[in-house]
Parts: sequence; C-alpha cells; structure tokens
Amino acid sequence: MVSDIDLSVTIGKLELPYPTLMASGCYGSGEEFEPFADLSQIGAVVLKSVTRAPRLGNPMPRLVATPAGMLNAIGLQNPGIDWYLENEVAKFAKRPCAMIGSVAAFSVDDYAYVTERLAARDEIAAIELNISCPNVGSEGETFACDPDLTGRVVRAVRAVTDKTLIVKLSPNVTDIAAIAAEAESAGADALAVINTLRGMSIDVHAWKPRLGNVSGGLSGPAIRPVAVLAVYEAARAVSIPIVGQGGIENATDALEFFLAGASAIAIGTANFTDPRIPIRIVDELRAYLAARGLRSLRDIVGKANVGFGSPFQYEGDVG
Amino acid sequence: MLAGPSVRDVVVLDRTELAPGVVLLGFYAPELVAVTRPGQFVMAIPPGGERAATALAIYEAQGERASLLFFVCGARTRELAELRPGDTLSLTGPLGNGFTFAGARDVAIVAGGVGIASVLLPAQMLVEQGARVRLFYGARNVDFLVDRERFATAGCELCCATDDGSLGHRGFITELLAKAEDKPDLVLACGPSPMLRATAFVASELGVPAQLALEESFACGVGGCWGCVVPLDRASAQAPKFPKPAGEDGFVYARVCKEGPVFWAHELRW
Repeated sequence: MVSDIDLSVTIGKLELPYPTLMASGCYGSGEEFEPFADLSQIGAVVLKSVTRAPRLGNPMPRLVATPAGMLNAIGLQNPGIDWYLENEVAKFAKRPCAMIGSVAAFSVDDYAYVTERLAARDEIAAIELNISCPNVGSEGETFACDPDLTGRVVRAVRAVTDKTLIVKLSPNVTDIAAIAAEAESAGADALAVINTLRGMSIDVHAWKPRLGNVSGGLSGPAIRPVAVLAVYEAARAVSIPIVGQGGIENATDALEFFLAGASAIAIGTANFTDPRIPIRIVDELRAYLAARGLRSLRDIVGKANVGFGSPFQYEGDVG
Repeated sequence: MLAGPSVRDVVVLDRTELAPGVVLLGFYAPELVAVTRPGQFVMAIPPGGERAATALAIYEAQGERASLLFFVCGARTRELAELRPGDTLSLTGPLGNGFTFAGARDVAIVAGGVGIASVLLPAQMLVEQGARVRLFYGARNVDFLVDRERFATAGCELCCATDDGSLGHRGFITELLAKAEDKPDLVLACGPSPMLRATAFVASELGVPAQLALEESFACGVGGCWGCVVPLDRASAQAPKFPKPAGEDGFVYARVCKEGPVFWAHELRW
C-alpha cells in the first residue's frame, strides 16, 4: 500500500513526517507560499537567515537566470535578530510544519549570540547554521571553507543550545569530507549539503556584471551533480544525517541524493518553477518505494554502490 | 468568501498573435477573474520543461476568461507562445498589489510597448467609475501599438507615439504627456524602465502623483526570496518595516513582487 510507506526522518532531535525541507532563503517564512502549497505536507521550512544586526542587502539586480539554474546575490537582507524575535517569530507557531531557524554571522561570537537567542524560542524547532553564504564578501563563506573555523563556530554554537543543529556546508571547498567530519566532531547534529556555488555572469553589451554584487550563488539543476557528489563524500565521512540539496526538481533527483547518503532533502530553486513540486516529490517517492516493495525511505539511504547496484529491475523514471 | 491567490491549471481558450512576437493568450479561469485587481500579475509556469516561472501581467479578466499579453523574448515566453486552445497552462496568482485609483477623475495612463498588458484593467475600471481616461501609448511602430482599438472602445482617449512616426507623435510617449492640455489628477504607467523614469519626471514637473508598475527579474514571485527588489523611501507605506541598518541612507529594498509591482513614483529611490 502506497499509504503505508514511511517517509519520516529523524534529524538530531527533530522528527519530521516528510523528508522534504524548504531551503533557506527560497521560501521566505513559509507564509508567502502558504496559498500555493499545503505546508502540513512538507517536512520543514528552513527560514531565511537572520544576523545580529539588520542588513540592507545587496544592490540590485540580485538575480540572473543562467543555463539550468540561476545566480542570486541577495546579501542576507534581514531585520536583525532583535526585531526578528519581537515581530516575526511568534507567527511561526501557527505553521503546520516544523520551522528551522537559520543563523548567519561574521564572527564566532555572533553565531553563538544569535543562535542562543533564536533557539530559546519554542517556535523554532532546530537551527541551521549558515556558515556558507557566498554573497556577503569573502567573510560569509570563510567559516565553511576552513575545517578549523568550522570546528570553532560549531563548538561555540553547540555550547549555547541543545536544539538540533544543522550545519550548512559550502561546495566551494577542496575537501568537503574533511569539513563535514570537523563539523560532526564539533557537535553538529546534521549537515546541509550544499549551499550555492560561486558564480558570475557578464552582460557583453553593457560590459558589466549582471549582478549588483558582481558574484552570486549558483543554484538549480546546473549544480545537481556537484551536490550529489558532495553528499556522497560527506556521507562517507560522517555518521550524522545529511540534508541533501542542490537542483532537486523531482523524485528522481531526490532519489539520487537519498542513494548518495542523504537522509532528507531540501528544495529551493524548484519552488520558483512550481510551488507544487515538494508535494509532488513526496507522492512520487511513495510510489517509487511501493513499486519496489519497500516500506521506508530509510531503506535506501546511502545505498548507491559501485560494486552491486539495485536489486530491482529498472522501471523507468518516477518523476 | 472569495478564494485568494492560488496555483491552478487553466485551459487555453484562444491564442492571437497581435503583432510579430506579441501573443494574446486567453484562458478559462473564473476563480482567478473573481479575485484579480488591476495591475496584478501571475507567475506562468512554462509548459515545455523550461525552468522557473515567468511573471506576466493579467491583461483581461472578465466573467470566466482572463488573458495574458506578452512579447516572446526568451525561452520561457517562447514555450508559452506555443500553447494552443485546449492546452493546459499552470498559473500562480493573482499576485502583487495592483494600482489604486479610487476617486480619481482624470487619469493619464502611460504605456510603453508590452507595458500595455498591465493597464487595460485599470482603464476599464476607471471608465466604469466615470473617470476621464487618456491612454498615452508608445511603441516602436504602428504594428506594435497592439490592441489600441480596444482601449478606444472601452472609452479611453488615445494619444499615440512611435519611434518611427508611423502613427501619432514621432518620439517618446512621455513628450506627449508633458504637453497634455489638461493636467490629469493621477498618472498610471507601465513600460520599459527609461519610460517609467521619464514618466516619473514629467509627473513630478506637472505636480501630479504617479503610480508605476515595475518589471524586475523575479524568482519566486510571491515574496519568498527577496530577489526582485527596488530601493524605496523608508517613509513609504509600502516599505518593509525593518530597522535601519548601519550605512543605510533613508531607503529600504522592497520586493517588486510583494510590496509592488506598483509603487508611487516619488517614493522610489532609483
């Protein structure tokens, strides 16, 4: 029975009925998408990152369409943690899914400060540490590009909260496995793999960068193979769950991530194509598992293997 | 209670090519019509596998039929242009704030090129409200002054300009606005950015308030990603009520898709 299929996931202390997270920065606070997607049928919304002080954000243009994806450079526009706690967070209690806070900062102290205050709120089910934003000068991504800094920031944040801590890693590194291992040993409960890839696009008529910030973060299907490999490598380096993300548009894409070792997935750019995609993916995952007589998504996590493949006959793409 | 915005599949009823690469696509969508305000838009999901929905103004909305009027200018609009009656199209909307014009008696509507797509609904509603409506409509040549008869039929006075002089004034439409005989009490505008800037300038010279429907690259179209922003006076009623960041100069970035797409010209800090 398709309805018996267990798609639930455990991420640290977080129990989610569905393995689908809405990626940070792509889904607002969930409210914006509520008329278009039934939030009770998604796993969690990862909120837009909040910083200690308010941030204006990057100059426009902030978006450019690129082959099989897009570049963005929003620049962490946000009202700062004081205003956020006072005016935003209470609204999250009404959402029918888990709300995961996202914290960005430019120093170890600020990561700990913002996390401590945000995690203290009951409306926030878990914290994602955004140590990999590529759009705020070199400083945003620095933490995720250096195993030592990753370790320091995760330890500092671990010390201020018992809530589930998901550390979002950057693909713009030489050895993601080493950073993943460092994050785990510093106390991360889970990893989000990957943030966007750094990129640039130039208007050849105007001789100008297309983004106001010059560089941006590349997302969408263009980065999917990069993300799948990053998940695969990180999964072999750690035993904590991984939230795989990068260009997932349908269940086939999602399955690549599960088979590579992700316990859950996050959907970002695909919501800009069609807000019904996350729920469609859940339906298609159920059908995929049911067709193979599998009862639980957990049965396939990390099962991609060069030596011996699927025990099932090929039955066509599911999405 | 009326339903709000939603994502829905609609069936294409008609398709007309009004000029080379200018397509009018009508579809059956009574629920959308029931909740659409003038100046709102939809995110149209490309039917052929092209990624990311594209924002298009709602051109007509009457009874059971709504329509989109667009220029084919890229892969996504090319896919939409390939739709034929009977095909299904997915839309998210209606979205955005729309124009406000209650009480206006004499309105100048400035439309440039495909900007015409945003202004039929306000023009019709204003005429119904008993306002005088002058449409200042500019395009590259007479062929691209599409569907202008409809505005005349709806009761608008037409003033046209073309780049090549093939109809009306040869030059910019905003030059006609500047020379208009009676001063309107409100200006509404939609068109290319240089035209909107010129409209803002002319309106401020005339001392007339102007609302501009902006176009920006959108990602989500629903306010979730903060990609489509425009600098807006912090004092604007539409400005996000965020605290002032260090180094900020009296403006805040507002989302064109959510706080807009229609803004008061004098509140934009572009």
